[in-house]
Amino acid sequence: MRTWVSVARYHLVRPAIFVGMPWAIMAFSFVVNLIIFRLVPPSSHAVQTGHGVVQVMNTSHYTGAVAIIYVFFFIMGVFGTGASLPFGLALGVSRRSYYTGTALLAVALAAADGLALTVLQAIERATGGWGEDLHFFRVPYLLDGPWYLTWLTSFVGLALLFVYGMWFGIVYRRWNIAGNVSFIAAQVTVLLAVALLITWVHGWTGVGHFFTALSAAGLTGLLAALTAALLAGGYATVRRVTV
Amino acid sequence: MTPAISVTGLTRGYRGHIALDRVTFDIEPGSITGLLGRNGAGKTTLLRILAGQEFPSAGQVHVFGASPAENDQVLRRMVLIREDQVYPDIKVRHALAAASWCYPGWSAELASRLLADFALPPDRPVKKLSRGMRSALGIVIGLAARAELTLFDEPYAGLDAVARQTFYDALLADYAEHPRTILLSTHLIDEAAGLFERVIVIDRGRIVLAAAADDLRGVAMTVSGPVLAVDDFTAGHQVWERRQIASQASVVMVGPLDEDDWARARSLRLDLEPLTLQQLVVHAAAQPAPDMTDESVMERTSA
Repeated sequence: MRTWVSVARYHLVRPAIFVGMPWAIMAFSFVVNLIIFRLVPPSSHAVQTGHGVVQVMNTSHYTGAVAIIYVFFFIMGVFGTGASLPFGLALGVSRRSYYTGTALLAVALAAADGLALTVLQAIERATGGWGEDLHFFRVPYLLDGPWYLTWLTSFVGLALLFVYGMWFGIVYRRWNIAGNVSFIAAQVTVLLAVALLITWVHGWTGVGHFFTALSAAGLTGLLAALTAALLAGGYATVRRVTV
Repeated sequence: MTPAISVTGLTRGYRGHIALDRVTFDIEPGSITGLLGRNGAGKTTLLRILAGQEFPSAGQVHVFGASPAENDQVLRRMVLIREDQVYPDIKVRHALAAASWCYPGWSAELASRLLADFALPPDRPVKKLSRGMRSALGIVIGLAARAELTLFDEPYAGLDAVARQTFYDALLADYAEHPRTILLSTHLIDEAAGLFERVIVIDRGRIVLAAAADDLRGVAMTVSGPVLAVDDFTAGHQVWERRQIASQASVVMVGPLDEDDWARARSLRLDLEPLTLQQLVVHAAAQPAPDMTDESVMERTSA
């Protein structure tokens, strides 16, 4: 346990990557979005009513920019295992403890930053989209429910990408670029095999029904299961790393 | 007493070559051992396996009585300082802070004193350090960690003579106050020879010599003088090298010599010069079928 905490502290020795940078970029992106949607004239769309066709102004502004922090969590994961691993192992830490400590950091950061996203979403709701009807922290379907679901979905999503990045970092450490290319190829192959299998058993209708019926909470559960699988994969890989 | 390091039949093969070939040795706790050998002899691979950073292909490795591989209890009692250590993008003081969290015996006082001795700027990113400064950082971490087993792999690459002397002095001073087991690999054999209580010489993945440093003094010597006298004197001894210029010969022979031998050498007007550790290593590494393990050296020196 003490070793795990030491590993997490070792990552945070330079807090810029894990704390400062993602939020600095988020803040920048937020300001850019706010200014752009103030500049752009509102569009309109036609609606058929009992009195004929009426032009309705679109006032809500949707943006997918919140994805930036998810991308950043992937990068953090790559850094956490790719660049920092050799010195971590030089400090008398086993691969398992290093991996566990890094994964604990992922969970803690995802929980904290997920909560921050939830708070910002609540503020966005309360201020009518920052006075501009901006949907920056609200994403239709995915992050649009009660606060606890927003927190849970953000938490799982962020942790998923961090853990996924960790696996990439480990593969890079052990097998370099060629390893990462093969790693991606292997993933594509798996997806292709699944698609072929579904086609073979004529299962696409079922798949379609499954996803249209899936709630945001259900999707979060699926992502959590995927995170667990990625965590196990990375764990199995890190034990073969040599530095 | 459990040996600090116990290696039996350790083999590590890579595609197309054998880095370590059935290496067997023990190191008792509380000693400074030199791990000597040429580039590519297998020194770094051996140290990496001891530190659990690399895995053996075959054989047993025990550190403090247990396998170091993925063993936190063993690993936190040892530190490996490598010449080619890869650091993340952090500053000198960050690296020291991380080490201080991981080593229970860490001495912040020693770390800051060594930092000053080596003139290392704590706020400089490790990436921006010169080769020598980077080595100095490794030395600071390795000594201040006060790990029970301290492994140094070419710790002073790029360091100037003054800084190397600082390292030797700091190592011996702290070792005297806080005894531990130190295994140090180096090319600069004669310079470091005074540090070692034991030496292990490794060549092409095999141990060619493992002995107490004291036992090695006088193990082999250069005999020079008139050809006939030299050949007469060295008859019956193992000869490692023979050079002849006109009627003068110079032969490297394996000892030991007793009082009578010395008297005979004087009467034959031969020059006898014991091999330095460095010369010994060079010759030991050059022997095709070496038998210079502890027992055989002991026999020769006590005979």
